[in-house]
Amino acid sequence: MMTFLVRRLAIILPTLVFVSFIIFGLQQLLPGDPALAMAGEERDPDAIAHIRKTLRLDEPIAMRYAYWMAGVVQGDLGISLRIQKPVGELVLQKLPVTLQLAAMAMLVALLIGIPMGMLSAVKNGSAWDYGANVIALWGLSTPNFWLGIMMILLFSVELGWLPASGYVPPAEGLGANLAAMVMPAFVLGNAIAAVMMRHTRSAMLQVLSSDYVRTARAKGLYERAVIGKHAWRNASIPVITLGALEFGQLLSGAVLTEQVFSIPGFGKLIVDAVFNRDYAVVQGVVLCTASAYILLNFLADIAYMLVNPRLRS
Amino acid sequence: MTALLEVEDLRTSFKVESGRFQAVDGIDLRLEAGRTLGVVGESGCGKSVTALSIMGLVASPPGEVAAAKIRFEGRDLLALSADAMRDLRGDRLAMIFQEPMTSLNPAFTVGDQIAEAIQRHRGLDRAAAWARAVEMLRRVHIPAAEARAHDYPHKLSGGMRQRVMIAMALALDPKLLIADEPTTALDVTVQAQILDLLRRLRAESGMAILIITHDLGVIAELADDVTVMYAGKVVERAPVEALFEAPQHPYTIGLLGSIPRLEREQARLDAIEGVVPNPLSPPAGCRFHPRCPFAEARCREAEPGLGPVGPSHFAACWRTPLP
Ligand SMILES: Nc1ncnc2c1ncn2[C@@H]1O[C@H](COP(=O)(O)OP(=O)(O)OP(=O)(O)O)[C@@H](O)[C@H]1O
Ligand code: SF4
Ligand SMILES: [Mg+2]
Repeated sequence: MMTFLVRRLAIILPTLVFVSFIIFGLQQLLPGDPALAMAGEERDPDAIAHIRKTLRLDEPIAMRYAYWMAGVVQGDLGISLRIQKPVGELVLQKLPVTLQLAAMAMLVALLIGIPMGMLSAVKNGSAWDYGANVIALWGLSTPNFWLGIMMILLFSVELGWLPASGYVPPAEGLGANLAAMVMPAFVLGNAIAAVMMRHTRSAMLQVLSSDYVRTARAKGLYERAVIGKHAWRNASIPVITLGALEFGQLLSGAVLTEQVFSIPGFGKLIVDAVFNRDYAVVQGVVLCTASAYILLNFLADIAYMLVNPRLRS
Repeated sequence: MTALLEVEDLRTSFKVESGRFQAVDGIDLRLEAGRTLGVVGESGCGKSVTALSIMGLVASPPGEVAAAKIRFEGRDLLALSADAMRDLRGDRLAMIFQEPMTSLNPAFTVGDQIAEAIQRHRGLDRAAAWARAVEMLRRVHIPAAEARAHDYPHKLSGGMRQRVMIAMALALDPKLLIADEPTTALDVTVQAQILDLLRRLRAESGMAILIITHDLGVIAELADDVTVMYAGKVVERAPVEALFEAPQHPYTIGLLGSIPRLEREQARLDAIEGVVPNPLSPPAGCRFHPRCPFAEARCREAEPGLGPVGPSHFAACWRTPLP
């Protein structure tokens, strides 16, 4: 078990270094000179020269990478040229928003996807199964931005139940905060629920025909123990992995959905930064989300191990 | 004496693409308390389906169980609700399976899997159920039972796992144990140990056993009475001595001609010429006639019924007693 964890951990550091290379390298490919973009309309040569100097734009790329990494390991992600604030601060500002949205979306996905997948596996071939598959197909084939707009039209414009867009920090009222988040969370969760449902269904189908499920029934166990304990514990293994990957995906920001609902999360931050050639912000945000993704994968491995005793010994 | 288990005209069929096929086609079984009945026959003749039908474990769909009677301890199992059947299963009526490697859940310790059944039926608390589980592991001669109870199944050998299955099945002192080929998947030496264990536990508890096998060596070791199945039907029924001394049905005679000995490499029953008939379209008349060396014209036309050929001895053959 320990060797498994150590091996996993040992992969994380090189992965992060590799990711930082890629982020930094791709960044250089973005067209346009940030100094020019920053200098504004007048293009004052002195100002441009000053910017080039502070950004170290004239130094070789390897040096610039080294400077960046030196900052990163000390917790300094650089300064946003546009907003004139430390990138770390911006990330910390947006993090709760993105985290809340991702968590709520994941909750929606789990609450819909897993029970539906279990139901359709247990009632394999029945109307329930058929219905669940139709819903999943709908969830998979509905574009998020379209569903978002339709929900706004229905719940905000027609019924007036929920605000159409905008974000309210929880400190300013939890009710208002949830009202603003519930639609984007549903839109994001809906698509993931469909994937979750399909995976849960196929994992459960396989497990339900296994010999140990027959043994559980031969012991006279109630169906809820047969399905909820014996079958689900084994079927949950692939579903956990999928859930962690999907959650990581959510953390990197839901660009379109955040745009539709004007939610100021990572998605919005990064889109704005790309348009403004705000290098430091793009690099910082991508590095943070990539790290979160890798960390989640690691946590999924641990969870995977905890439900799978063969990996524990 | 009323029987512990009485099965009359059991018919279990499965829905398949090409229609319905009769895996078990009207069999009768009778088993008295404390006795051991062996059911023997080639692979695919419907032995496991018979056992699962009695246990109420045939999945429906695609399966369908019908019978004139399935009585256990005087109760009609066919009339029991699903809940009442569940209360019975694992308690008065227990079963062990052919595949020890896959019959235990890989995600839970063996102690947990035994204790769980005890808690379910006896409502004991966790600690008491666990203590009982450890005691059962000891009774099936698993060394260091306390420690083994905390093991996951993948740490145990096939023979150890089958012992765990037996411990689980016997944890609630069932009146009837259905053992579906409990030794088939094991090495020869381990097979002998498991049979020995079953015999000892039977003597201790006085339970009845329905032992299913395709190995006449196992029958000789364990059974009091034998029912021989062929293609979903009973072809011969006799006390074990009578069956070995004077088999009456040509199929049984063929089986005995190829009797495997436990000590030797296990010979399969398919030493009889020919193959088991396609259950979707069984041959007309006697189902054994395509393979029977004694077959004559009427065997192809009409099906023989099970008739007496000696004391407590029945066979379904037009030509018995054979010359
Ligand atoms: N769930 C099912 N669906 C369809 N057919 C089935 C099902 N279960 C069993 N059968 C069929 O019923 C027939 C009898 O099977 P059964 O398992 O009872 O044989 P068996 O005598 O136990 O053989 P073996 O010695 O190989 O265990 C076989 O042809 C099998 O394919
Ligand atoms: S009835 Fe005929 S075919 Fe069938 S077993 Fe007897 S002799 Fe053989
Ligand atoms: Mg079988």
